[in-house]
Amino acid sequence: MLLRVGTWPITVRVVAASAVLMVLFGLVASQQVLSTLGRLQDARLQEYARLHVEGLAVALGPFVLHKDVWEVYDTLDRARAETSGGRILFTVVADELGRVLAATDPDRAPVDSEVGAFTKDAVPLGEVTAANGDTVVQVRAPLSVQGRDVGQIVTELDVRDLVLQRRKTAFALLAGNALATLTLALAGYFVMARMLQPVELLARHMGEAGGTPHPIPEAVIPHSDSVLTKLLRNYNSMAEAIDARAEAERRLAERERFVSLGRLSSSLAHEINNPLGGLLNATDTIQTYADRPDVVRQSAALLDRGLNHLRDVSRAILEENRTERSGRRLSKSDFEDLRLLFEPETTRRGQQLEWQVGDCDQLFQCVRSGPVRQITLNLLLNASAAAPRGGAVGLRVQSEGDRLLLTVADDGPGLSEVAQSRLMSQARLEPGGGVGLRLVRDLVAGLGGDIAYRRSQGRSEITVSLQGREAMPC
Amino acid sequence: MRRRGFLAGASVFAATGFPDVAQAAGRFRLGLTPVFLDNDADVIHHLRTAFSQAMGEPVDLIQRRTYQEITAAILDGSVDAAWICGYPFLQHRDSLALLGVPVWQGRPLYQSYLIVRADDEAKGLQDLRRHVHAFSDPDSNSGYLVTASDLSRVGETPDSFFSRSVFTYGHRNVVRAVASGLTRSGSVDGYVWETLASVEPSLTSRTKVLAKSEWLGFPPFAARADKAQDPSILNFSAALRGLAASPAGREALRLLYLDGVQEGDASLFDGIAARMAELEVR
Repeated sequence: MLLRVGTWPITVRVVAASAVLMVLFGLVASQQVLSTLGRLQDARLQEYARLHVEGLAVALGPFVLHKDVWEVYDTLDRARAETSGGRILFTVVADELGRVLAATDPDRAPVDSEVGAFTKDAVPLGEVTAANGDTVVQVRAPLSVQGRDVGQIVTELDVRDLVLQRRKTAFALLAGNALATLTLALAGYFVMARMLQPVELLARHMGEAGGTPHPIPEAVIPHSDSVLTKLLRNYNSMAEAIDARAEAERRLAERERFVSLGRLSSSLAHEINNPLGGLLNATDTIQTYADRPDVVRQSAALLDRGLNHLRDVSRAILEENRTERSGRRLSKSDFEDLRLLFEPETTRRGQQLEWQVGDCDQLFQCVRSGPVRQITLNLLLNASAAAPRGGAVGLRVQSEGDRLLLTVADDGPGLSEVAQSRLMSQARLEPGGGVGLRLVRDLVAGLGGDIAYRRSQGRSEITVSLQGREAMPC
Repeated sequence: MRRRGFLAGASVFAATGFPDVAQAAGRFRLGLTPVFLDNDADVIHHLRTAFSQAMGEPVDLIQRRTYQEITAAILDGSVDAAWICGYPFLQHRDSLALLGVPVWQGRPLYQSYLIVRADDEAKGLQDLRRHVHAFSDPDSNSGYLVTASDLSRVGETPDSFFSRSVFTYGHRNVVRAVASGLTRSGSVDGYVWETLASVEPSLTSRTKVLAKSEWLGFPPFAARADKAQDPSILNFSAALRGLAASPAGREALRLLYLDGVQEGDASLFDGIAARMAELEVR
């Protein structure tokens, strides 16, 4: 998690970005310094090599022309003895055929041996450089007498000091840059931390409570910077507006529940009224035939069944009204309640109800009851409203892996584009129309689920897929 | 002190020397060669002082690079006398007169040494075939004639026997050439090598003597024969032989590791003459 830069505090991010830029700047500047140093060193080295070789060339030319081995050696030996600083490690002189005439170390380059072994890695005077890190460089130059090449000279130069100087400089630059970067980064951190305090405050309040914006107390809003103060106050206004909107939505959802019940009220009234006639008849019968125990018993049984039905209906209504605030988990009885509430509506409209609730007890345990009841009821009511009289409405509850699938089907004309938009997207709601589908969408989103809509062979299917584990810890 | 006196370079003498144009009439001119004497200011100073005091006139010391040059200088009169080698003395025996022969370790004799590097496994001259050899001077007895005549005895010449011959024009240079590995072997004056072993052991210790010649006549002082009876030559001869008598002369002799200079006899050089004859025959 810490590896994700986006999760770092903004103060740290700003300082880190500054540090990275400083390091890059430091690297570029160091490279420039080292490059300049290298050029100066190479120029010095080339000048030194040129003076050495040209000096020797003047002295050696006649001896090489006459192939005077001793004089060549003596000249080299004396030049080596008189060269200060020990830069010249080795020099070998060959005739025009590449045969060694003499060298400062005859053991390395015996007289008459081939000079090729020394020239193959040697570079011309103008290309001498200490930049490749070698502590010894070989230089070659022709020996001329009166414009005629009479031989060649190869010299090994000790450039250890130059390489060391370059390394030391590089290290000093690296250490200096690192120290400067660290110091400035720390200083920058404190300055940035102070400057960005209001932003941190804002970010903290924006991120609190699972991403829900949270107003900043007036007492902690800094007044030293009018722009930031205005920004934080604007934020507070926005946070309050979001709160107000959420509250409005909550109230709307609450009302929608009653709307659902309201839409059922007619059916439910029939559901209550129909048995009432029978019950009243039963009481008349009991009063009329009080001396006939068998009639009384039959009427009492009728009364019992009717009252039980009324009790179930009223319990389902109460439950529907209550479950929204409840943390209770889903169970099969929730669907039985829904059927009890919804079936009269289909009966009233002469519709066929297909009701399949699978054995998903384990998944039910992972989902809260209230939202699922609301989702299911809203979709069923929509389906019933969409299906024609004498049509068909269905509910199928099944599991698929660790997901709970609720499918509501009808043989109505299908969802319009506007209705699909309400159900499937977060698009702004057009004025008019109910909020039922949007409420379904919000409730499903709140449970971490998703919605699919399918239309085939004259049937519409809306499938709500709920993640069992994420919706609620099992 | 003696080391510094014996060694150093000809450049010192050149810097403090006496240009020919400055040689006014009446100044005695003695020729020297660095082939034999790697002189320095101390030796020059004491020799000049000793000769000037003994002869009662200024003496100029003239140095040339080779025996050939210094011999030519005697013959053409550029110098009045010179310290040369027995080989050129015999080459021009008819034109030169013997003025004196230095005495080293009690005798007017010395040897030629055949030297190699201290770690060389050669057992004799034959093992040096097809290698680079250092001579001091083509007119030097110890530094050329002895080895050349040894080769002549086996039907070889330096050019046929060695892969390359290098002339260094200085006995010390021969030792340097061998010690550094520039050449595998060298022909050197035994007197010079022994003296260097005392004054510059770090150089001679890197070499070893592979072979020594028989004892031969020490390089003599000579003058043109037709001027041998000139008063200045006679005066110089007397000063030469009386060198040990003066403090400056004794100091010069001490720096040169010599006992003195004796009159000498041409027969001292019979050994060299024999080797010359062998060389000429073949």
